Formats: sequence, C-alpha cells, structure tokens
Amino acid sequence: MPRLIIDEREIEVPEGTKVIDAAEMLGIVIPRFCYHEALGSVGACRMCAVKFIQGPFKGVQMSCMIEAQDGMVVSTTDQEAVEFRKRVIELLMKNHPLDCPVCDEGGQCLLQDETISGGHAMRRFPGPKRTYRDQYLGPFIKHEMNRCIHCYRCSRFYQEFAGYRDLGPMQIGDRLYFGRFSDGCLESPFSGNLVDICPTGVYTDKTARFKLRRWDLQRAPGLCNQCSLGCNTVANAHYRGVMRMEARFNRDVNGYFLCDAGRFGFSYANGDPGLWRRPLFPKIAGEVAGAADALSAARKALDDIAAKNGPGAVAVVGSQRNSLETQSMMNLVCETRGWLGPVFFFDPAMRLKTLSAVHELDGEIAVSMKQIENADFILVVGADPLNEAPMSAMAIRQAARKKAPVVTIDPRPVSLPCDSQHFAVLPKDIESYLGALILKAMGKDAASLGSESENFRAYLGSQLENFNPPESLDQCARLLAASSKPVIICGTDVTMETTPAFAADCVRLLNLCEKQAGLFNLLPGAGSFGAGLLSRTEVPTFADLVEYIENGRVRGLVFAESDPFHCYPDRARLESALSKLDFFLALDYFPSETARRASVFYPASTIFETGATFLNQEGRAQFASPVHCGGEPIRPGEHPPRVYSGLVPGGDHLPAWKALASIAGMEETCPDIAPEKFVPPSIPGFEALGYPVDGQRPALAKSGFKTQWGLNTFDKSQAPLTFELLMVEWIFGTSEFSAWSDSLAPAVLPPLMSISAKDAVRLGLADKDKVSVELAGGELEIVVSVSDRTAESVLIVPRHNGLEWQKSHDFRVFVSSEKIRKI
Amino acid sequence: MKKLNSVTELTQFREQLLAEQQGIKKSIAICEGTGCHAYKSAAVADAFEQEIKKRGLEKEILVRRTGCHGFCERGPMAKIFPEKVFYFQVKPEDVAEIVDSTLVNNKLVDRLLFLDEKSGKRCAYQHEIPFYMLQNQVVFGNNFMISPRNIEDYIAAGGYSALAKALSGMTSVDVLEEIKKSGLRGRGGGGFPAGVKWETTRNAPADRKYVIVNADEGDPGAYMDRSLLEGNPHSVLEGLMLGAYAIGCSEGFVYVRQEYTTAIENLPIAIEQAKQLGLLGQNILGSDFSFEVKIHQGAGAFVSGESSALMSAIEGRVGEPRPKYIRTAVKGVWDKPSNLNNVETWANVPLIVNNGSEWFRSLGTEGSKGTKIFSLVGKVKYTGLVEVPMGVSLRQIVFDIGGGIRNDRKFKAVQTGGPSGGCIPEKYLDLPVDFDELSKVGSMMGSGGMIVMDEDTCMVDVAKYFTNFLAEESCGKCVPCREGLRQMKRILKEITEGRGKQSDLETLEELGAFMKDASLCALGQTAANPVLSTLTYFRDEYEAHVRDKKCPARACRDLIVFYIDPQKCSGCGTCRKQCPTEAISGDKKIVHIVDQQKCIKCGTCLQVCPSRFSAVTKLPGGPAPASVPYGTAVVQKTKGESK
Repeated sequence: MPRLIIDEREIEVPEGTKVIDAAEMLGIVIPRFCYHEALGSVGACRMCAVKFIQGPFKGVQMSCMIEAQDGMVVSTTDQEAVEFRKRVIELLMKNHPLDCPVCDEGGQCLLQDETISGGHAMRRFPGPKRTYRDQYLGPFIKHEMNRCIHCYRCSRFYQEFAGYRDLGPMQIGDRLYFGRFSDGCLESPFSGNLVDICPTGVYTDKTARFKLRRWDLQRAPGLCNQCSLGCNTVANAHYRGVMRMEARFNRDVNGYFLCDAGRFGFSYANGDPGLWRRPLFPKIAGEVAGAADALSAARKALDDIAAKNGPGAVAVVGSQRNSLETQSMMNLVCETRGWLGPVFFFDPAMRLKTLSAVHELDGEIAVSMKQIENADFILVVGADPLNEAPMSAMAIRQAARKKAPVVTIDPRPVSLPCDSQHFAVLPKDIESYLGALILKAMGKDAASLGSESENFRAYLGSQLENFNPPESLDQCARLLAASSKPVIICGTDVTMETTPAFAADCVRLLNLCEKQAGLFNLLPGAGSFGAGLLSRTEVPTFADLVEYIENGRVRGLVFAESDPFHCYPDRARLESALSKLDFFLALDYFPSETARRASVFYPASTIFETGATFLNQEGRAQFASPVHCGGEPIRPGEHPPRVYSGLVPGGDHLPAWKALASIAGMEETCPDIAPEKFVPPSIPGFEALGYPVDGQRPALAKSGFKTQWGLNTFDKSQAPLTFELLMVEWIFGTSEFSAWSDSLAPAVLPPLMSISAKDAVRLGLADKDKVSVELAGGELEIVVSVSDRTAESVLIVPRHNGLEWQKSHDFRVFVSSEKIRKI
Repeated sequence: MKKLNSVTELTQFREQLLAEQQGIKKSIAICEGTGCHAYKSAAVADAFEQEIKKRGLEKEILVRRTGCHGFCERGPMAKIFPEKVFYFQVKPEDVAEIVDSTLVNNKLVDRLLFLDEKSGKRCAYQHEIPFYMLQNQVVFGNNFMISPRNIEDYIAAGGYSALAKALSGMTSVDVLEEIKKSGLRGRGGGGFPAGVKWETTRNAPADRKYVIVNADEGDPGAYMDRSLLEGNPHSVLEGLMLGAYAIGCSEGFVYVRQEYTTAIENLPIAIEQAKQLGLLGQNILGSDFSFEVKIHQGAGAFVSGESSALMSAIEGRVGEPRPKYIRTAVKGVWDKPSNLNNVETWANVPLIVNNGSEWFRSLGTEGSKGTKIFSLVGKVKYTGLVEVPMGVSLRQIVFDIGGGIRNDRKFKAVQTGGPSGGCIPEKYLDLPVDFDELSKVGSMMGSGGMIVMDEDTCMVDVAKYFTNFLAEESCGKCVPCREGLRQMKRILKEITEGRGKQSDLETLEELGAFMKDASLCALGQTAANPVLSTLTYFRDEYEAHVRDKKCPARACRDLIVFYIDPQKCSGCGTCRKQCPTEAISGDKKIVHIVDQQKCIKCGTCLQVCPSRFSAVTKLPGGPAPASVPYGTAVVQKTKGESK
C-alpha cells in the first residue's frame, strides 16, 4: 500500500487509488469537474491540477490521472497549481451564460462553487459567447447546452456506465455538443442521473423546473420505496410538497444513482393539481370528518364486530408497500386483539415464493448490488431486472463491463443494457435450465460434495432425467465453471413456487465447488422482505380471505396501505365480497378505489412524512427520515387554505402504524407506544442494533441446504395449444406508485402483449396487431409485440394501469389458442 | 496467382517476372498521383495505350500507371525508361508525338522538357532537373517503377525481399536490433526512435498486440504519406509485417482517412493480392509467421492522427485523445500493446532490413538518420514532394530544389511541421533539417509539411489561418485547447481587422504558454506554436497591426488601403469601370479617387490599372494620403514620362 504526503500530511492508501481520491481521504477536496468516482478519470477538465513535488511525476499534473505511489509529495496549495486552476476556471467561465438566477442548478452547482473557490471574478476576455441549440429530451430532463463546460460526465455516464447510446458527444472543437442526434425522448430509464451528475445546469429536472430554489428546500435522507432494492435518496420538499428526488450515495446499494421510476415517481405524495388531490382528510361514509371522530368510529365498528362474531371476524390486510413499522404494528395488533392477519399477500404462490426467498437467503450467500458489480458471472433466472428492479440492471451492466458473462433464463424477452445470452423458457422449465447449468459447471464428483447437499442433488437429478439442454447451455456452463464469484439473480414474479429456494441451493452447491457464489433475489415490493419475515403460516392470503368474507366468517376489514382493486385479479368478485362486509377501514395515502368505498377512510402518511424502515430484498434494514410534516401543499398560483387553526391543513394525519394502534385501542394498553418498542422483537438480530437500524443486514441467519426437496411438487403440466398468461411488471405504468404519480405518466408506454415469433405464426398474428384475448372476466384487448426472445406458449401481459387485466380472474391463467382473436 | 510457399518460390517468382519483362524495350510511367490525376493524367495514359496499340507496339512498350512522381506542379508527367526522360505537362494531344519521336525514334520532344530558368536550358533527364537533382529518393523512388495495383511490379522491383530475408535468416530480435541500430525515428511528427517503441510493445506482456499504420495525415499542405500509400502500398505493408514479426504480433491495422480515396481503393487490392500470393495470412512464405491486416477508415479529423485518439477511433469510439500516462505502446487498442508508426516510417523498414542499418546510418545527421520526404508548397517556384537526406539545409530545399521564391519576391519564412510547427525566419535558413535542429528554433519536423512564405505573406494572417484550422480540428475534450484556441482565434481576428490592443500580444503569449502546459494531448500542447513562433520572430508585424493598424505585408484586407496616385492617374477609367462597388469616382482625364467607405479591398483596381500608369498602389494601412479635389484634371504627361 503506497504511502504519500499530501499537503504535508501522510496517508497510506490502497494500491491503485488516484491521488485525487487519496486527498479526499484526508478531507482535502481537490476541485474537479470531469472526475467522478463512479465514472473514472478522463483528464478533460484540467481542474484537478496539483503540484507534484517528489516522486515519479514532477510539476503540475492532473491528480485524477495519477495513481498514488510510494514517496510522492503533493501540494494542492502550491502557487503554481492554484494559478493553473484559476486559469482553467477562467476559460471555463468564458462562455458560460451566467444565467444562475433562473438556473435550477443554482445553489448546488459545482461550477459556481469552483468559480468562487478558484478566485475567478473578473472577465478578461470580451466578445460573444458560444451558443447552442437546446434539444427536447423527453418529459424528465431539460437541456440547456449553453451552460456546458464539456466535462463528458453525461456521456460517460449515459453511454459507458448505463449502456445507452442515444446521448453523447458530437462534433469537435468549440462546437463540441452533448445531446442526441435529433430531438426526442431519452431512451435510458436512468436518464435522471444526468441531473445529479452534471456539474452545472445543462441537465436539470424538468418536473421541478422553475418551482424552487435549492436553498429553500427541506432535505432529508430518504429511501425509494418503488421496488424491493431500497435505493437511497435525498427527498426535497418545499411548501409541504415533495419537489424533487436526488440519489444518495450508498456504496452497497445504489452507488451514486437512481432509476427514473424512483427519481420521478414521487408526485403521488402531492397529488395531481389538475386531476385529483391526495386524500388528506378522514372520511366517514364518504363524508369528511375529524380525525378523532374517524378513528373512534372505526374502533367502535371493529369492536362491535369482534364482540358479536368473535375477534377472528376482523382481519387486517397490508401490502408490499408497508414499512416495517406498519407491518410490525399490524402483527402486534393481530396478536393482542386476536384479529385475523396480518395478510400481506394477495397471491398464495407469491407468498410462498417470497417466504422462501426470504428464509432461504442466509448471510453467507446474500450479496449486495455492489457485489453484483464485482461478480464474474451473472445468471438471471426468472427475473427481468430492468422492469422489476431497474438499478439491479445497472449493477449487472457494471459486471458485464468487467467482462462478466451474463445469462438470462426467463420466459420474457429480457433485455439488459449489456450483452447477454438469453434462454427463453417457460417458468416451469427455469429450474431445469438452471439445474443443468449448475451440474455441468460443478466439475466435481458427487462424493466430494458431502452429505449436506445430498437431498438437493438427488432432486436435481430427478428433475433433469428427461431434459436435453441446448448446446449453447454448455458454453455458458464452461464460463460459469471458469468463474470464481458468480451471482444468481432470482425473481419471484413469474417463477414457480420452488424456484427461489432452488436458486438458493444452487448457490450453495456452487459454494461447495470452491466458488464464492452469491444470491440476489428480486421481490415484488419495498415491504416484501419485511412481509416475508413477519408472515405467519397460519395467516391466510387475501385470496383465502375473499372466501372467508363470502362465507361470512370475516365481517370487518382493515386495509393498511393496501388496495386490492390494484392487486386482486377478479374485480367483480372483490366488489361483491367487499359489499358483504359489515365494515371496512382504509388507511392510505392513495385515493384508491378501496379508499373511496371504505366505511371509514383515514389518511396515512407517505414515506416523506414519517420515519420508516424498509428491509430491502437482501435483508438490509434502512431508515428513511421524514422530510416534511405533510399537509395540503401550496401550489403555484394558489392561496394557502384559509383555515384558522394551529394545525397545518391536512397535516393531522398519522403514520399508518399509529392510526392502527389507535384503532386497535393500543394507546390505552401502552400509551407511549413508539417504533423502538414494537419494531424489533420478532426479527432476530434487531434487538442488538436498536432503532432505527440503517444500513445493516440484521435479519439473515444461516439456513443451509433445504432438506425437504421434492416434497412439495407443483403442477407443471400445461395442456397443448394453451398459453399461460403471465402477468408482469414494467418499469413504468404497472405499479401503484406509477398509477398515482402524474410525473411518470409521460414515460408510460401503451400496454403490449409479448408473444414468441413461432406462436405468432401459429396464431396468424404479426407485430403490432391488435388482438382480443377472451378471459374469464371478459375480453382483453391489447396490441401484440412479437419477439424471438419470448418463450413459446406464453402470453406476456403487463399489469398495466391502463389495462383491465383484472379480467383474468385468477393469479395463474391458461388461455387456449382459439380464445385469441385478431381484431 | 499461385500461393508462394517458401522464400525460394518468391525468388523464382521474381526471376520469372523479370524474364517476362525481357522483351520490353521501353516503358512509360505515367503519374496518376492525386496532383496529376487532377490534371487529367488518366486521359494521357489512355492516349498512350491507344497510340501504342494502334502501332502494335504492346509487346515492346509498356505503359504503367504509377503513383506520384513528386513534381506535382508540372503534372501530368510521363517518365520514359530506361533513359529516364521526363516530360511535363503532357496533354493527350502530345502523346502521338512522344510515341513517334521518343519511343520509336529515340528523339526528344523539346517543348515538353523541363526548362531551367536559371540557365535557360532544357533538361531531358532526371539527373539534370534541379528539382530531382538534389534529391535522394530512396523511399519514394519505387513510385516510378510500379503500378500500385499490381503486386508483380513491386516484386519485380525487389519487393518483399526484406520480408523474405527476415523470415529466412533473421530472428525477430535480429530485425528489432537492426531497426534500433539504424536509428530510424518516427516520421509522423514526434521523431521517437522507432526501434525503442517497438521494443516497448514487444516487451509489454499481453496475449494480443497490434501494429498500426497511421495514414491520418492531416496537416494542411502535406501529402507525403498519401502519395506513398497510394503509389506504393506494398512497401508500407511489407514494413508493417516486418514490424509485426519483430514485435511478435499477428494483427495490424491501416488507419487511413477516408478522404484518401485512391489509397482506400488501392489498399484492399494490394492486401488481396498479397493474400493470394501467401504474403499475408497464415504461415507467410511457409514460415511460422502469420499476419492479418485490416483497413480502418478514419472520418478525417486532424486530432485522430494522435495515437490514443486514433486507437480510440479504431475501437469504434469518438477519436479523442486520452492522457498518456501509460503509452499506447503498452496500452493501446482495446488496452493491448499497440505499435503505431506513420506511413513513411513503415516504408523505411524494408529498406533498412534489406540494406542493413549501416547503410541507413550513412544517410542523414548524427541525431536523425535516413531521408525525409517533405511536401514543399507555398510561394516556391517548384512545388511537390521532395525526398532529401536529413541534414540538408532549408536553403537548399527552398532555393535549390524548390527554385526559390515565385515571381522573385523576397523570402520571408518557411513553416514546417504542420499547424503544430512553427515559422522559421530567414536567419535560420542554413539550419540543417533534422528533428532536433528544428525543435531548437521553436518549430518541428512534423510529418514533413513545408510551406514557404514570401514578403507578401502576413505572418499574423498565417498565425490566424493555422489557429483557425486548429480551432476547427481540436477535439474539444480539454479546456485549454478548446477554449484557448477559441480565444486566440478571436484575438487574432481583432488584430487583423485593426481592432487589436497592445495588451492582446501579452494575452496571446500568456494563453499560449498556458495551453502548452495545460493541454491534454500533443495537439493542444503545440496548438499555440503558430502564434508563439510568429510572435517570437515577427513581433514587429504584430506591433504594426496593433499600434499603427497597418499590415506590412499588405495582406490583411481590413487594414490595407488602395490609393490612386493623382500624379500618375491618367483618367483612363479602367479601374472605375471594373470596380464592383462603384467606389472609384472620376471621369475621362479627371483624376480618379477611391472612396474608402465603399471600397471592399478586392484589389481589382490594382490589377487592371495599366502598367504604363501604375497609378494604383496598395498601402499597408490607412488613412490614405489626401487626394486632389474631385474634378481635378489629370497631369498631362509627355510621351517619355508615360513610360
């Protein structure tokens, strides 16, 4: 490890550390524009010049280009270096439009900071400034090329780091331009990072344009709750509205970046000024009521039901959106009051998959996104990273950039921003492909693997008896065999019930063959891991609950941040079931159908207004601090509500857990209830860490090989000429957040049904044909997209908010070919 | 063509080719280099072929369409072998006469021979023509003998014998040592010892290595590499193969700018022919050595000639340089060791292997060995490509080979090294041309561009021209080069337009020094050279522009003034009629006056004023001397005076 002296202070740094980073370790921030830790050095801006006094390099050199070496003596304050940097900033400011008053970057602009710190204030070069034509880059990003200082951060991020080609440097000399070949929406779902990464205001957040000044913002470290990854954010609020999201650096999770769904999908917290308002006021039977009245009405109604029909007639339903606090409180309420629940899952299969994904993941095989970046072989099974958890696709790309082979096994036409080998296989065949791949790559005889894995290997063998893998799988197996740190990324959306556990044991098997293999699960939502940990086996799923309601066993319901109208596949049945209930309460921040129909509605706080813990899909507990107190936001051009009260209008709602406690009467039994009292107990490892836990992985115990392989077999048969209707997620347009965030609306593409090219021929369909698919609940009309990367015998349909997919009537649906008709 | 499986087979093939040529009594080499091509040399070649066919002489007289002959100013050229008679500015209608007199009857066609202005003599043979007399065309010489599209010509002229020699009797270390001993320095600009670079690549550990030909010649007025690659592609390929053999690699690229269409047409043909003969591909000439070469067409940016930018372009990315803390010889294309040399360097390699390093060292100076091809252009009488041994003085090149300044104007400066080079004033004319000497006076060898300037050239204007060129061609990646050039360009524009300030000169120097220190690549680091070198040697011209608002060379349009001397004007009205902006007033026998407000400085009046009056003068700057009031009658001249 080289030791060097920077500004008369000695430091020892790891081999390969750039001098600029070594200085930062000492707390000396050398000015820079083009250098960015994630993007590496390029040497374009010449801003990080320092004086090298001793060592292999001499004189003023770029600190981002030179690796720290033993015996170096470096001065960042040497007059020559200071003068050098001053000249650079002078040249950079030569063409800058100085439009800081109307620039959204103002206040957080690196160019502003470096200009001041460099001591440049007087303009020496008169003459016209260079100007450019700006481009339309889509709904999220505003382009202002005149502000550009040509640091190449945008193009390096966009092309090299994220893997998209439609934005980059064009022309040469002083005509050098960063943009697209022609105006148009940016193709990358990571485009929002341009806002963060641009050191000046070339790319600014269009959704926040001209609405705020940076120094007026309330800021707090937050979390993205749109998918299971738990990317770290900084939420920015102003006048009780969330205005903007920025990525917050977390080395293990999202690094420096965010996906566009996470960055721009916050406007549900504010409501859509034109179309709908966020429900901020409690309602009893549809009429606005006081908060205390609503709570006591709900409590009374539920107590009555419990008194009349027993406590089991009241059920609590959560969802994948709940924070750990809400989930824990639901658990506590159900335990104390004897209510049924908490019900976290709608689909029984999804419950099984989530539970096994959570319980089979132990601390030895769990990997973080950072570890994916360093993997040397990536196997994606039953997962579509870009659509289910976009930032994981970015992590995969980083590994691919380091030459890691990427193999995807999935029925969907999975596309990644990197080269990959795709096997389009049915969900039931995913395990066979994965198993065959692992067996071929093991390269060890069974005897040396020990008895621990015996059961699994026997199961593997039986599964592969009649399986003839394609030759291309052999090639992948050779690459896997040659790897030392492979990672399996396993999804839960389209996979079979056994697949997450199967993948976990495959990872264990690889580890027996002297590999450092890792498992990375993708779960359906931000609260899924917590739901999986807290789910009790005796608790039914919502599918069962509907039956209970129908036969009168359950008479009262509490929906905590849960909207079955979004998640349950049979709308008609749901409507009739809800109408049979004596009472149901909805606690939510969305103005959902459930909230509209609820006997009592109580507004819940969003992640921005309450402290919330989420366990991400690798079991990492992270805490989101509240950024503002909430309440009716003040919108441009509107007068604040004329309310004469000490309270913020619409700001008296409670976090869902608190409201739940109140409804269940917990306040009386334990009056000063707080999350630190009820969050940890049922999760091993939490107690030692206290509350809130942020950034640790306390929930992972060692589990080892599953011993009961082959006991639960699921029906894998499929009648000939039938198609399995696979409901899938899209990055934009399928989630509840997307449904209620108008900021994402422009990015939502119309729904498409993906079918394989062979099936298209069989069905006489062509790309872009509109078809009608006859389902149990009626006809589903959708445009076909034909792909040769889609598996045969499946119809892949997004759970699109603009599509009545709830006509499917079941979680698993098969459609025969005569029910698919071109219209 | 049959594949040659051994060195012996190559020798036999050559002997067979020479035997076939025995019957040919004479041959005509018609230059189809770019210059002559533009003069329609193809029509001349067609005419020769037809004429010879008409006379049924095809078996005895061979017409060869060759690459550039160098003396581009006098194209189209035909050289007749074996006598080495040169005919210049040949037109298709001259062909019959040449065939009749020279080819059939051994008589010269006087009017097509070179006329030496000094002696007034016609020179028939190459060794008599001053332009060629002082040259030593060791690299370029083969251009006369071979058709670039016919590998047989190259082989007959001894081609691929160096490769054969290396493969049959030399180890790769032998070849490398020979090149190192020869002292061959890179002809592309930097003058880095080629052998040392090869050795670096050879010693860099990697599974793959590359050798690359840099044919991205981009200096204004330079076309040495182009002519070599177009006219003799095999010599470059052979050199490349020898390099690959010495370095131990089996893949190569030729990076050629796509504007070089002839090279792009000829190269694939050459490569295909070499492949057919087994001179490229697997197990060349039956040895263990295998080599493949690919052509990469550059999109034609000046900066792409920089090694790291060129390699980034080969990888399919934008041709922008990267900082070279690790050299491309160690980490180049796809991070593999890559040895890049320019066309001329590679073309020297077979000669060194064939003739030995001692022979090569016998040419040139202590520090710079061998010959160098220059493209001699500008205000010199004979422009073209000249190959001279290193160490020849600039004066010899400009005045002896180039015949001195056109129209007998006074020499002012010679610009060497392309835009990154500098302007060398008269006091250094006796400087021997080699890598180190040129650097000492603030210029550089570059790839061999040599632009001669006379007293009518304004040095500020020259600096502005090169700065504009560089500002256009800068890749824009690093700040000092992108913004510094833009600002320099602006300041120079102001100066040449008469709005310069004294402080501008200091700003230019300061900017230039900063660009030199702070830029990322060699282009940026040398981009200030045109300004800095002219500021050093011709500061008085800058001063005149800034202080007196005058252009001493009378070249800067915004400063100069056209003035009609009332004493000389005879009121003929020619200038008044020709003036495009009606800026001249006057009448018959009335003194003409230029209205400076209307004048656009086109110079038409000066051109058309009858020489017997010579009344119009171009002044270096305003204001124009007071003229007479409008309507003044012209001064009556006696007959004697008017002359």
